[in-house]
Amino acid sequence: MIFLFVTVVTYVLYRFTKALNNKVSFPVFHPLLFTPTLLIGLIALFRIPANDYLEGAKVLTHMLGPATIAFAIPIYKNLDLLKKYSAIIAVSITAGSLIAVFTSFGLSLLLHLDRSFLVSVLPRSITTPIAMEVSREIGGLPTLTTVFVIITGIVGGMIGPSVIKKFAIQSPVAKGLALGMSAHGVGTNKAMEYGEQATTFSTLAMILAASITLVWGKFLIPSLVGLIA
Amino acid sequence: MKIVTILIQIIFIHVFLLLAIGIKSLFSIPLPASMIGLVLLFLALYFKIIKLEWVEQGANWLMAELLLFFIPSAVGIVNYNEIASWQGVEVILIIGVSTFIVMSLTAVIADGFEKLKRVDSQ
Repeated sequence: MIFLFVTVVTYVLYRFTKALNNKVSFPVFHPLLFTPTLLIGLIALFRIPANDYLEGAKVLTHMLGPATIAFAIPIYKNLDLLKKYSAIIAVSITAGSLIAVFTSFGLSLLLHLDRSFLVSVLPRSITTPIAMEVSREIGGLPTLTTVFVIITGIVGGMIGPSVIKKFAIQSPVAKGLALGMSAHGVGTNKAMEYGEQATTFSTLAMILAASITLVWGKFLIPSLVGLIA
Repeated sequence: MKIVTILIQIIFIHVFLLLAIGIKSLFSIPLPASMIGLVLLFLALYFKIIKLEWVEQGANWLMAELLLFFIPSAVGIVNYNEIASWQGVEVILIIGVSTFIVMSLTAVIADGFEKLKRVDSQ
């Protein structure tokens, strides 16, 4: 029962936020910021433990699996494009993934973040399951990493359109790669607004960023973490 | 009728998820099952084992509503009291700045590279 209730309430609030966001495009109304805020308010008001909510919402979280699999379709449909742009993809994602790790590391050092926070924030720019894997590998806290991944997604989805506008990025290839690299699935969802090509490149960026960061997690990040002892 | 089609196709996509879970446990691949499933679905389409029409509507719905599936995890942030601290504010700032740098540099690099290639081929 609670599962049905939680799922329906979450869905209705999500639909409402999406409609609102379409009418008044304002970063605060981003579905991944506004809907959770409403839900947190509701469960606080009715004194429902957060874990009861999460237990009830399991079906929704489960759908992340099939939803990730679904992104095979834009890749399949645009295979020729991907072959044509393979060099650009390789260069941008290698650079992007390194920039993600190094800026997270540098800024955390600068602000004297605690060790557990610092280590857990390093794999934050990639998709949740792999970020957790890398986090475990480098001695971070996987659950804390999940939180940082979600925050990355919220930020990325919110600033995406302004960044693309500010740097006058025209090509769907660059738009897609930037969104998928910097904000994983949430960025890829945003890329859908820029058409199928952008979605394809974003999907590929998301997958490759995760795979390559898995490699950094084995060879590069441990030596970075070693530096702070 | 469209809802029924979408629903059946989502169930069908689960076949790839189950296959992926099986393969993952058999060969202990360090990738999440969903990514292995993505590769499997791609291969099934590429080698024409299944038709695009069998999965397309369900897949489009899943991709369009992706944010919905992230919402519970975002609500789960309340379980981390550490975030409601000065350190939490700092880490959000770090994530914001870093995400901005990653996004803009990736965009500029990809855009620049593409323009360079276009000039080359002319």
